[in-house]
Amino acid sequence: MTQRLAVVTTAYRYQSHAQHLVDPFLTGYPRDGLWHRPDLRIVSLYADQKPDGDLSAPRAAEFGFRLYPAIAETLCCGGDKLAVDAVLIAAGHGQYPRNEKGQVLDPRYEFFAQCVDVFERSRRTAPIYIYPHLSYSFEKARWMADAALRLNFPLLAGSALPVTWRLPDLELPPGCGIEDALMVGAGGPDAVDDRALEAMQSMLERRRGGETGVKAVCMIEGDEVWQAGRDGRWPPELLGAALSRSDTPQGLTLQDGRPQDLAANGELPKLVPKPAACFFEYRDGLRATLLMLTGAVRDFTFAARLKDLGILSTQFLLTPEPNAPGSARLVRHIEEMFLTGRKPYPLERSLMVCGMLESCLDSRGQGSKRLETPHLDVQYQLPGHLL
Amino acid sequence: MDLVALYVDQAGENDLSRGRARRFPSMRIYPTIAEALTLGTNQLAVDGVVLVGEHGNYPRNEKGQTRYPRHEFFEQIVRVFRDSRRSVPVFNDKHLSWNWDWARQMYDQSRELDFPLMAGSSLPVTWRIPSVEMPLGAVIREALCVCYGGVDSYDFHGLETIQCMVERRQGGETGVQWLQAYRGERFWQACQDGVWPRDLMTAALCRSHTLASGRPGFHALPSLEDMRRLVQDPVAYRYRHHDGLFSTMLLMDGLVRDFNFAASIDGRQDPFSTQLYLPMPPARTSLASFFSPLVHHMERMFLTGKPSYPVERTLLTTGLTAAGVESLFRNQARYETPHLAIAYHPRPESTFWRT
Repeated sequence: MTQRLAVVTTAYRYQSHAQHLVDPFLTGYPRDGLWHRPDLRIVSLYADQKPDGDLSAPRAAEFGFRLYPAIAETLCCGGDKLAVDAVLIAAGHGQYPRNEKGQVLDPRYEFFAQCVDVFERSRRTAPIYIYPHLSYSFEKARWMADAALRLNFPLLAGSALPVTWRLPDLELPPGCGIEDALMVGAGGPDAVDDRALEAMQSMLERRRGGETGVKAVCMIEGDEVWQAGRDGRWPPELLGAALSRSDTPQGLTLQDGRPQDLAANGELPKLVPKPAACFFEYRDGLRATLLMLTGAVRDFTFAARLKDLGILSTQFLLTPEPNAPGSARLVRHIEEMFLTGRKPYPLERSLMVCGMLESCLDSRGQGSKRLETPHLDVQYQLPGHLL
Repeated sequence: MDLVALYVDQAGENDLSRGRARRFPSMRIYPTIAEALTLGTNQLAVDGVVLVGEHGNYPRNEKGQTRYPRHEFFEQIVRVFRDSRRSVPVFNDKHLSWNWDWARQMYDQSRELDFPLMAGSSLPVTWRIPSVEMPLGAVIREALCVCYGGVDSYDFHGLETIQCMVERRQGGETGVQWLQAYRGERFWQACQDGVWPRDLMTAALCRSHTLASGRPGFHALPSLEDMRRLVQDPVAYRYRHHDGLFSTMLLMDGLVRDFNFAASIDGRQDPFSTQLYLPMPPARTSLASFFSPLVHHMERMFLTGKPSYPVERTLLTTGLTAAGVESLFRNQARYETPHLAIAYHPRPESTFWRT
């Protein structure tokens, strides 16, 4: 029987995250070279905000689902008990205030908590997928993960970057020894890109022993980032490897089409007005760096030095606007989780990302101090079928 | 490897050659091709030659072909080889010539003088999304590419996209017996009549990253009616290989801006499909880095003297490009191609960018 899906979203307009994640359930999406139509039907939708160009009403009229003014009603389809088989919480592109750390206070936790209320009241649960992450707050994210554990329902969160195409099609060997790792991110209004962090984590969690958690973080900005490179706080050869995978070098390449070794030609400080670096010390001794180089490139690249295998690198491909194929792979994972109840990757990945991001911003707020992060003792292993 | 000599036929307002020569003093610009190859002496003085004969202002003929002077340049290169009694490897960007007879001469001269010649598009060697290779020895029933661009231009890239895949089929390439072009209303009629398989078209479109939506505000698979609205000047080249394989190259400007391949293969329920990744700057990238694999293979040939893939592939696609133009010129009549009975075997190893 076709499963019933409820959608809870901040705002549903053209080119919003909600549109990229919801429309495929209405019209189908490209999958393995076929046009795939999911065996799931959206029956109800809640939109927290209705900006200009709101799609919730026209889509509801055309595709025959109902809009409700509250989340509980959405999940109960107007009744008093849970009346759907799965819940998609798609946040982003709403207008919410930022906190003193610069984080948008997206009400994902509040949305989720209302879903949990319905589950408890109904004595029945359903899988929930949250886009892009659990919460801006690790404490809230932890509560969310614990609630799913307590009520025993599949909960997952994550963005498209870890599951998009990679150029090359690189997956780190399971159980590999990682000596050093560096991720390059760019773009967006946020000082640190959660997608970049998640993509990096999706690579590192495959190392020997699995994920052990993060012991300490430090975030620096501005010229200190370049000085840190000269001081050996991040590995220049990994930056060279990562940037060799970029298809979007800016500056001189825009002027006359020339290829550039951006890591070595001295152009970076000219191109990046606000560089940022996040340093992560994992509990098993691994060190990793996220460099935000907005202005130098427009894509996401990664490099790691592996024991015995040398340096491996790749680009996480963002497809061009309107970027619908870029979400297709994520939609596939969401659909499969809803249909099977099995999680395609661990929830702890998103939990880690929430905590790492928040602690980086805390470090920045405290003058780029190195912060111990005993709360980030998140340990997890990839299940065998994902290795 | 040092780039030591450059000949540029036309240096327009946006010329880069002078600036590059200033930045790289080891590279000198010469006024003739012979001088570039001899470094101003009377003997061949280089170890390899790259011939890039497109862009620039050259006249068009009555069939709409731009008379890019690749054959003329090649003749001058070969004259130096003959005069010096020595040859070196040559890489020719894109097809050999717009003129089939000249292309054949170029190929024949490379055999006569026994120098390594490699040619073609970056499509066969760029990234593929997904990163898959046509299984060697596959029994292919039908092959199809949906791409974009114009006649005597990107049609060549679409043909190379198909050829680098189908040459790996059981028995290798056997050459092409005939080609028929479809354009405008005849294209839509053929599409409707199923002259080429619609399921392969859909499979190819499902690999595109630039598929125009059937409806504004959606990312929906376009119907045939949507496509009619989106594509102003559709062109198809459908051709039969000597072993019975049919291939179809579709130029659908307005529908996609990438190169997507699909084939039906014995033993597979769903079509084999992938995108050959050519993210054209400036919209999608800043750097045309899909040339990197092509440069890599040139470099390898210059260093080893061995082409990475057979030039017969591009000899055939050169002939197919000209045959497409010819069929269109003859009012979309089927064009018999006895001259394209070009049989060859591919190198078993993959040469596309995957690491």
